[in-house]
Amino acid sequence: MFNYFKTIYKVGKALIQGMMVTWKSFWQPAVTVQFPDEKLNTPERFRGALTFDKETCTACNLCIKACPTACISLEPAVDPATKKRIAKVSWYQIDFGKCNYCRLCEEACPTKPIKSVRHTHQYEWGMLERKEMLVKWERMIPSTEPLTSTNMKPI
Amino acid sequence: MILPVWNESQKRSALILFGIASAGAGISIAIGEIGARFSKIWACLSSFALKNSIPTALLTPLSMIIQCSILIGFISVSVMFMVWWERKVSAHMQNRLGPMFTGGWHGWAQTIADAIKLLLKEDIIPAEANPWVHRLAPIVAFVPAFLCYAALPFGEGLISADLDIGILYIFAISGLSVLGIVMAGWGSGNKYSLLGGLRAAAQSVSYEIPRVLSVVPILMMVGSLKLTSIANVQTGFWQIAGIPVLPKWFIFYPIVGQIAFLIFLISSVAETNRTPFDIAEAESELVAGFHTEYSGMKFSFFFLAEYAYVFLSSGLTTVLFLGGGSGPILPSWSWFLLKSFAVVFLFLWFRWTFPRLRVDRLMEFTWKFLLPWSFVNILITGFILLF
Repeated sequence: MFNYFKTIYKVGKALIQGMMVTWKSFWQPAVTVQFPDEKLNTPERFRGALTFDKETCTACNLCIKACPTACISLEPAVDPATKKRIAKVSWYQIDFGKCNYCRLCEEACPTKPIKSVRHTHQYEWGMLERKEMLVKWERMIPSTEPLTSTNMKPI
Repeated sequence: MILPVWNESQKRSALILFGIASAGAGISIAIGEIGARFSKIWACLSSFALKNSIPTALLTPLSMIIQCSILIGFISVSVMFMVWWERKVSAHMQNRLGPMFTGGWHGWAQTIADAIKLLLKEDIIPAEANPWVHRLAPIVAFVPAFLCYAALPFGEGLISADLDIGILYIFAISGLSVLGIVMAGWGSGNKYSLLGGLRAAAQSVSYEIPRVLSVVPILMMVGSLKLTSIANVQTGFWQIAGIPVLPKWFIFYPIVGQIAFLIFLISSVAETNRTPFDIAEAESELVAGFHTEYSGMKFSFFFLAEYAYVFLSSGLTTVLFLGGGSGPILPSWSWFLLKSFAVVFLFLWFRWTFPRLRVDRLMEFTWKFLLPWSFVNILITGFILLF
């Protein structure tokens, strides 16, 4: 008889305790981030989409050698007067379908003080077609035309 | 410590909630007693009918139609509100936010959008199903829920049928909707649905008994089955030396009131098939139980019936234990709604706190615990009335 009432007391106490847990959570602020309206800051060394600076690149091929998935390709520029290769890039292409965001190209890049190929903090990037993943930066020499990238705006 | 220290955003939302509450109170004071207003409007209408020699035989069906439309409107709006509220409460109990986008302010229009989507969805009858049973089941489940609202007093003069056997009527009619659930289980031609329907039948039939017996002490004290007179007995305060201490609600009657309230609350939760007693539609075991094969409008009718029963149980709890529409300042209907929605919140709180009971434990709990204690409660009431 005593044990019976003891069990009832214990169970009732446990139920009240459980309800108090949810009551406390009810008043705590929610941890949800309302994504399109609110965004969390990315970490300092976050590896987002790659960007490329076509003016500082020396077309040294180190990034192509460093890339483990062979997603980078480039062609050095040729001086039209002397028909010789110069330390500038004609076009530079990254296949983001292959890229695994490993930062090895950025580490290999010798340009200073800012690397010409580097990661940004951009992570909102959706593509509908396979060919959109091939991002190409072109540099025409000599040309007075404004420089354009084919698909992606350099970030 | 129950309430933690609030930061700025919490203070702001508390202020907004306070503003909404005070605006609601102001509006309800401005409106006053709806029952009296309705009877005035009805007197106007009937005098107009008399003047224009409209036969009086038409007036009774007309009044019924008007009352039915008011009740249907109330049920659908309150169900929509409760669904949104449940989603918000469940989200906040899990430190989430719930629907936030539809309609702007905290996703208030989410259930309206959901209802429109449900009404526009394709209506599927499975090949294995028995089409007529499958078609009839949602109607059989919802109609009793709607019928029960006829005898529920929403406040002073706000009752469509003030029956002398009101409480008996509500218990009897609400027992019928088990039929709809069993029909849904059988007619779907799905083993999960059948299991869910059978479980629901067993559970509802078992929990009906302690639920009715827990009300018996009140009937003994009041001496009436009429819900309005039960609510009227509970108006006023108990006074010690002229100072009002506690309202004369049945829940504050020593020992008897609390036991009856707990038994009634637990078996109401079980009757409405909600967690922790939701083995009839246990998502993790039976997909969705009896309404697995339902889609679109039929599914929405099951949903409507479930939430209508939740509000009905809360309203009954309010009338039987919390004094119905009695309270200071505010009109009786707003007190009724406030108390009922407080009980609805209790239902939601239970749902998002307790895990589901096993089938055998569930049956053990009602037959070996709730039922004996409700008998003991009746016995204690008898002794109190005797001495």
